[in-house]
Amino acid sequence: MFALTVARRYLFSNPAQTALLIAGVALGVTAFVFITALIEGLAIRLTDDVTANSAHISLEPETRVARVLPSPDAELASVAIVSTFQRRQIRSWEPAVALLRSQPSVAAISPQISGSAFLVKGEAVAPVAVTAIDPAYLDAISPISTEITSGNSSLGADGILIGVRLAENLGLSSGQPVLFRTDRGIDRLLTVRGVFRTGLQTLDEKVAYLSLQTARPLFLLPEGLTNIEVKLEDPGRARDVAAFLHEATGLRATPWQEKNASLEGALTAQARTGTLIQMFSLISVLVGIASALSLSANRRRGEIGIMRAFGVSSTFIAAVFVLQGLLIGMVGAGIGCVSGFALCSWLATLTNAEGIMLLPVAPSEGGYVAVFLLTTLGAVLASVIPARSAARLDPLEAIQQ
Amino acid sequence: MNDVLEARAIGMTFRNGDDFTEVLKNVDVTLQPGELAALLGASGSGKSTFLSIAGLLLRPTTGAITIAGQRVDQLSDAERAEFRNTRLGFIFQFHHLLPDFTATENVAFPAAAPAGGITPAMRKRARELLARVGLSDRLDFLVTRLSGGQKQRVAIARALMNKPELILADEPTGSLDRVAAEQVLDLMREVNREDKATFLICTHDEQVAARCTRRITLKDGRVEEAWEEHPVVT
Repeated sequence: MFALTVARRYLFSNPAQTALLIAGVALGVTAFVFITALIEGLAIRLTDDVTANSAHISLEPETRVARVLPSPDAELASVAIVSTFQRRQIRSWEPAVALLRSQPSVAAISPQISGSAFLVKGEAVAPVAVTAIDPAYLDAISPISTEITSGNSSLGADGILIGVRLAENLGLSSGQPVLFRTDRGIDRLLTVRGVFRTGLQTLDEKVAYLSLQTARPLFLLPEGLTNIEVKLEDPGRARDVAAFLHEATGLRATPWQEKNASLEGALTAQARTGTLIQMFSLISVLVGIASALSLSANRRRGEIGIMRAFGVSSTFIAAVFVLQGLLIGMVGAGIGCVSGFALCSWLATLTNAEGIMLLPVAPSEGGYVAVFLLTTLGAVLASVIPARSAARLDPLEAIQQ
Repeated sequence: MNDVLEARAIGMTFRNGDDFTEVLKNVDVTLQPGELAALLGASGSGKSTFLSIAGLLLRPTTGAITIAGQRVDQLSDAERAEFRNTRLGFIFQFHHLLPDFTATENVAFPAAAPAGGITPAMRKRARELLARVGLSDRLDFLVTRLSGGQKQRVAIARALMNKPELILADEPTGSLDRVAAEQVLDLMREVNREDKATFLICTHDEQVAARCTRRITLKDGRVEEAWEEHPVVT
C-alpha cells in the first residue's frame, strides 16, 4: 500500500517531532493505565476489606407476611402482618446446600445458626452475636483458626471461641468456663476453647463461635438453620448469583453490596471520577495528534498541491494522513501500555512498614485492550480533520504558495 | 491528425466580492502533436491562468477544451484528476519534488500512487528517464541532495513518467541560473524532438521563447499573435 509508505516516510522525515508526538501519546496512555489500575485496585482492596471476614451472599428464610385473600363479594381493606407464630428458620436446608456445592461460582459455604446471647461471668454480662457452625467449616467465611492467639480452634461439644476484646472485658482466657445465656432464656456452662484476634473490633468484641451441635438445643432449633453464608470466587458477581439462588431455593438471598450500600455508592462515584480522568487524558492525546497532523498538513501544502496536480486522488492524500494517525496511535498506545504496566508493577511493590501497599494499584487491571483500541481508533478519528483539509487542498493554490 | 490541445473561446473571470476581473477573453489556442510552443505575455496577461485551464487545474468561465480528442472541461473533479495523471505532464518553476523520497521514487510517484506501489517496471522506467536526463549517478539520492538544475531535471523526468500527450511547463527555467536553464531547455527540446512530445511552455523570457518552434502571445487576456511560426534558435 503506497499511502502507507508515504505516511511512514513522512513520520520518519522528522524523527524528533515524531518521537515527541509518540511520547505524548504514550504518556497519556500511561496515565490512563495508571488511573484504571489504581481505581480498580482501590475497588478490589475496599471490597476485600469488606468481604474478607463476611459472606458474599446470605441466604435466609423469607419474611412471612400474613395476607387477606381477596373476596369477590366484599370490599376488604388489605392488611399485612409479619407472622410471629412460627420460628423463622430454613427447615429443608440440605437441598439448598447441595445446590450451592454444585455451583462453580461458589467458593465456600457455611450453614449456620445465628442468634443473640449473653456471656455471664460473676457480675459481668456481655451481649454477643452467636455464630454456630459446623467445626469442619470454621474458616469458610472468616479465617478464625489462623487468628487464634491463645488456646485452639477445636470447638467440641461445649466449647466456645471468643474475641480478644470480649475476653479482656470479661477477664476470660482459654480453658476457663463461662455461663452462656441465650435469647431463648436457656443457660449452659461452656468452656472457652480459644481466643481470636481479627483486628476488626466488631468481631473481636461482639462475636462468639459455637458448634452447630452445641447451639441446636440452646436456640431451640433441633433441625433447621437460620442462615447459610456463601463465599464466591468473584465477589463482583454476588448480585447475579444471589438472584439465581433466590429463584432456585425460594430463600431470601442478600448480596454483600446490599448490606454495604454506602460502600457501593463510594465505589460507583470513584469509578465515575476515574472515567472522567481517563476521558480527559484520552482527549488530550487526541487533540495532540490532531494538532500535530494539522501542522504537518499545513507544512506540506506544496507537496500535497503537486501530488494533486499530477493527479493523485484526494482519497490517497487523506489516506496518507489517516495512516499517520493510525501509526502514531498504535505505536504510542503500545508503548504507553507497556510503560503503564511497568509503572503499576513497580508501584505495586512499594509497601509500608506493615507490608501494606502504598498505592493499591492492580497492574493486571489497567484496561490495556480498551485503551489500546480507544487510542488507536481515536487517533484515526483525530487525523480525519487534517486529512480532509489536506485532501480538499486546491492544487493550484497550494503550488502558487 | 487530431490536435493535442484545442481551446475554443476560453473566457475566465475571477470574482472577488463585488469585483469581477476578466483575465481571459475569448482565447482560441490549438496545438498539434510534437509542437514545442511558448506561451508569452507580460505579467497579468493571463498566460498562467490559461496554462492552469489547459492543465485542468482551473475550470474556465466560458469556452471548451479538448485534449487528445477528448472534451475535458466538463469532467468531474475525480475524472480531471485521473486525466491529469494519465494524459498530462507538469513542470513548474519550482520543482515541487517530494523531499522525503529519492530521485527514482519522485519520478515513479505519479504512476505508483494510483497503482498502490512502485512496481519493478515502474522503477525501471523511472531509472531510464533519470538516465536520459543525465542523472544516472543520482538515482537513489534523496532529492534534497541535488542541485537546483538537477532537481528540475528530475521534475522533467517525473512529467514524462506516464507518457503524457501534453506537457505543460510554467516558467521551467525561472528559478535556475543561466547554465542550468540552458541544460533544462536543451533537455525539453530533445524530448520534444525524439519523443514527439507536445510542450506548452509558459514564459516571459524571450530567450526561452526563441528556443521554441512556436510562440503564442497573450496581451490583456487576448491572443495577440496566434500561431506565429518562429525560427528556432540553436
